Amino acid sequence: MKKRFSKLAGSIVIASLLASVIGCSNSGTSNTSPGSTGSNSGGNNAEAVSNEPMTITGFFSDPNTNWNNMQDDTGKFITEKTGITLKPEFAVGDPEQKINLIAASGEYPDVISPKGASGALIDAGALLDLTDLIEEHAPNIKAMLGDQIDRLRHSNDDPSIYFVPSLEAIDQFYFDAGGPFNLQHAVVKELGYPQMRTLQDYENAIKAYKEKYPTIDGQPTIGLSLLADDWRIMISTTNPAFWATGAPDDGEFYIDPETHEAILHYKRPEEREYFRWLNHMNDIGLLDKESFVQKYDQYKAKIASGRVLATIDQQWEIDEPEAALKAAGKHERAYGHYPITLDETYKAANFQQTGFNGGWGLAITTAAKDPVRIIKFLDYLASEEGQILVNWGIEGKHYEYVDGKRVFLPEIENIRVNDNNRFKKEFGIGNYLLSLRYGDGVKDSTGNYFTTNNPEQVLENYSDIEKEVLAGYDATYWKDLFPKEDEFEVKAWGAAWNIPVPNDSIITVTQQKSNDIVRKRIPEAILAKPADFDKVYDTMLAELDKAGAKKMEEEYTKLVKARIELWSGQVTE
Amino acid sequence: METITQPSKPASAKKIKSRRFWKTAVQQRYLYLMSLPFVIWVFVFSYIPIWGWTMAFQKYRPNKTFFEQEWVGFQYFQELLSDDRFYMVLRNTLAMSFLGLLVGFTVPILFAVLINELKGRFFKRSLQTISYLPHFVSWVVVAGIVYKMLSTESGGVNDLLMWLGLIDEPIQFMAKGSWFWGIVTVSDLWKEMGWNSIIFLAAITGIDPEQFEAAKVDGAGRWRQIWHITLPGIRSVIIVLLILSIGNLISIGFEKQMLLSNPIVIDYAEVLDLYALNYGIGLNRFSFGTAVGIFNSFVSIILLFTANGIFKRYSKESVM
Amino acid sequence: MAKLSASYGRQTLGDRVFDIGNVIFMTLVLIATLYPFLNVLAVSFNDSADTVRGGITIWPREFTLENYKVIFSYGTLVTAFQISVLRTIVGTILSLTACSMVAYTLSRRDFQGRKFISVFLVLTLYVSGGLIPGFLLMKNLGLMNSFWVYVLPGMVNAFYIFMIRSFMDNLPYALQESAKLDGANDFTIFWRVILPLCKPVLATIALFVAVGQWNAWFDTYLYNGSNSSLTTLQFELMKILQSTTSGADQARGSNIVEQMRSVSPDSVKMAITIVTIVPILLVYPFLQRYFVQGMTLGAVKS
Repeated sequence: MKKRFSKLAGSIVIASLLASVIGCSNSGTSNTSPGSTGSNSGGNNAEAVSNEPMTITGFFSDPNTNWNNMQDDTGKFITEKTGITLKPEFAVGDPEQKINLIAASGEYPDVISPKGASGALIDAGALLDLTDLIEEHAPNIKAMLGDQIDRLRHSNDDPSIYFVPSLEAIDQFYFDAGGPFNLQHAVVKELGYPQMRTLQDYENAIKAYKEKYPTIDGQPTIGLSLLADDWRIMISTTNPAFWATGAPDDGEFYIDPETHEAILHYKRPEEREYFRWLNHMNDIGLLDKESFVQKYDQYKAKIASGRVLATIDQQWEIDEPEAALKAAGKHERAYGHYPITLDETYKAANFQQTGFNGGWGLAITTAAKDPVRIIKFLDYLASEEGQILVNWGIEGKHYEYVDGKRVFLPEIENIRVNDNNRFKKEFGIGNYLLSLRYGDGVKDSTGNYFTTNNPEQVLENYSDIEKEVLAGYDATYWKDLFPKEDEFEVKAWGAAWNIPVPNDSIITVTQQKSNDIVRKRIPEAILAKPADFDKVYDTMLAELDKAGAKKMEEEYTKLVKARIELWSGQVTE
Repeated sequence: METITQPSKPASAKKIKSRRFWKTAVQQRYLYLMSLPFVIWVFVFSYIPIWGWTMAFQKYRPNKTFFEQEWVGFQYFQELLSDDRFYMVLRNTLAMSFLGLLVGFTVPILFAVLINELKGRFFKRSLQTISYLPHFVSWVVVAGIVYKMLSTESGGVNDLLMWLGLIDEPIQFMAKGSWFWGIVTVSDLWKEMGWNSIIFLAAITGIDPEQFEAAKVDGAGRWRQIWHITLPGIRSVIIVLLILSIGNLISIGFEKQMLLSNPIVIDYAEVLDLYALNYGIGLNRFSFGTAVGIFNSFVSIILLFTANGIFKRYSKESVM
Repeated sequence: MAKLSASYGRQTLGDRVFDIGNVIFMTLVLIATLYPFLNVLAVSFNDSADTVRGGITIWPREFTLENYKVIFSYGTLVTAFQISVLRTIVGTILSLTACSMVAYTLSRRDFQGRKFISVFLVLTLYVSGGLIPGFLLMKNLGLMNSFWVYVLPGMVNAFYIFMIRSFMDNLPYALQESAKLDGANDFTIFWRVILPLCKPVLATIALFVAVGQWNAWFDTYLYNGSNSSLTTLQFELMKILQSTTSGADQARGSNIVEQMRSVSPDSVKMAITIVTIVPILLVYPFLQRYFVQGMTLGAVKS
């Protein structure tokens, strides 16, 4: 027995030692050399030949397991065209930690996408100012941005451009609404498509249906279920307070459109009324008792059972349980989206425009040997040819034009729908959104959309009952029920939640404190006896101020005003 | 060592002592060879990085060198000690770790002893293997199962209590702050009991079986065998582990508490390690995070030496 | 076995009650501890869309192998598996050697350095310089992009040393004495006399080290994340896990269309858990015999 074990162990050791030693030495050498020699030779000949092979190292905050070392169709095409091979490392877990270590150790990759953690890198002087590089070598990027280029600048004190934004798409247009006030199709159909505009309408519908059907499939009917699991409490419980009161999403703040003063949005009196309504819903037994206790998977399971009449949540949080409902053929238990507000004086501002926010994207570091080649590479990806390539792949191989309309080849489309991993891995489509890019709804010179999303597709995905319900409300899309983009002014400060906050600002700590207070007190206020609601709410406001909310709001107001100034182009050198 | 004779003259005492020392050192050269290299090893990997503690006294920025940092003295410690939340999380931490020590430390010992008493070899082995399986299941999953079992909607525990007629309507276990510490402790026990018993089981195996035979001949029952042979036989392992665990009372991680908590019980759920993450590294405030770390270390070391001293005095067993 | 059944005959009533009670209790423990694992197993074989509905206990509702296919479709995990095996084996051997040697010197009550080294080691359990100093140290020691960063930094572990020492403390000192009289030096005594008696505790520590090595992924991420020939299985699985999970922070961007599609199939997560833990579970039976069945002093003596 003992002998057998040691023999077995021994052979495992030897086998794996051999295998990995061979593996290591092979790939070990091939890993290090092309990086250095590649970029050297690239640097030498950059002026002469622009597609000399060159390897770029990079660190990306978002994981991408479908990355195939550019051996996919699109990747090969890009390498052939530009000579560039990108060798990225993707974050696992918390990217900020690793980025801080990169900043502290001075071991920068050539390009980096740090998202929210750029502060340390900028402080360290690790990132190149791209202003001149874009001006001289990136005509496509320049054209795409137009006069919005000021929105890429870092701050009034440091008007450098550090990033080519790649997370937010240019001129993104939303084809449909995705929440947050959702109601089962069965409810509105049963009740004959009643007006669905105010919280009162919403409440009445839930109440009427629940009284009529106290159980669904043998289990007790739940009126409204909320979710408060960790950060999700914002999506389902606290953010809807501003949605219901006609304010747009500025994170935890409300920005006065006239004075640009920032306050914690909970301080608005109308939001207190929204939470009072939730308190009332709890009082009359329409709110799920487990709302603030349940975990995300319990919540999903509950929704998938089809007995939750209403959810206040974004669509992407209930996608999974809805898919399960549809798979079970219970299409009437899926949800429609309604522009609910506190009363009719408010207008749901879900589609208020922010303009291009710039923001997170790819930066070139001081370690890059040939920044010009890199910016040219990014510029190629931002060109019309590049944009169609990264979104659709290669003509004839992946897509074709049918009557002038760009479509995937049938076999490709089949793989796209049924085996998305293979689709990305083999064809590389969607893996190279590294540069500036167009959003949904933007058309190229052939009159086709750049992205693969289009309104017809949204319509195709609607179920029969969904179409029936929409017809009941005289609409084609859910979005039709909402106030349109052009009914609002474009917010001059973009979206406040993505204003970068300096590392040493008091905002960071106070924000954390205020989150801790809000996440505890809001559920408490909602579950309190109606008579005690105000007491709890006042306690919360007092605690917020005690934690330094006023000072934070002042600081935040400064940031908002600085951004407006920066974006208006007044600070360019 | 213990039998050093008192030197008669103080002047030469030092010299004699030093000579003795070197003589013994040469005799013990193998012992030095077997330990000193590893002491140096530990110095490199565990002690050198302690320079990082200086961060707690600086306004640390990752991109600057040590000499460029701005020094701020005890500012971060003052901030820590003047924060009400800090005392709340400290209370929670100590409460849960104390319960953990009380239950999570003693039950595995008992479990190991009882496993050892089992007769059937197959049953014994399977039980051992299976009891440690939950150790490998992540807290996310375990917390999910706990939540489902304690749910008011067809949760196993509520169903059982209703069926037994002990309660009229389901109890919202997870919405009661006063239950939270207990739930964490029991969940932890469930997950780690088998795993934590392994070391004790190993220690029991080291006991000379002749002792049990002798006890049986004397007519000792099972309980007496356990009490007089098994437990004393693993006493030193128990004490060493206990001392080391007492030193760890303050750092209990935060994963299980975070996953089991919800907004309603948050005042009982947040622990020091999570606080340090949320208000330190999580906000890129390395200095504050380090200050909490230093506080942790100091408390740990005080606890450790106290526990060690007490055990040394009363049981002659100790770590140092 | 024959001996055991013989001793059954001599049982008193109290003993029998004890045994029956014990078996009943242990059966309950068995069921309680088996459940989480079976649950994970069942979910991992269940259709991921169906899993959302909840209510899976110990048997898949809609059986599928798809979740496992998804994991392996992310590419070959062979290299990563080899590195994981290698680090587990090398790490365990190095750690056991180092820790048992130090433990022996500390178990010798006559050793001069005993007190100092004990204190020096035990403090390491409670102090840490933090992430950044540790990272810079590894960089300066040239351990980045190297296999050795997995096994060298944690090789000497104070906790394991004290565990082994407390076991050694219980061994009869007479054994060492007689070896000494035979002229053996301290190393020989350790190697020939003490170590063979320590098999139960060494097996235990080996298990601890092996599991720790096998499960580690953060060091891979910090030091070797960009070197695909040195990444470990846990790290690769972690990557898959994270990319199937929708990014928490991204979700803050309220209604960004792309993020609506990133779903987190729980079944795939559970399949990853199974892929992670089954190989290390297989190690256990090899080690188990050392501490369930037991080594006896008598056996060694003869």
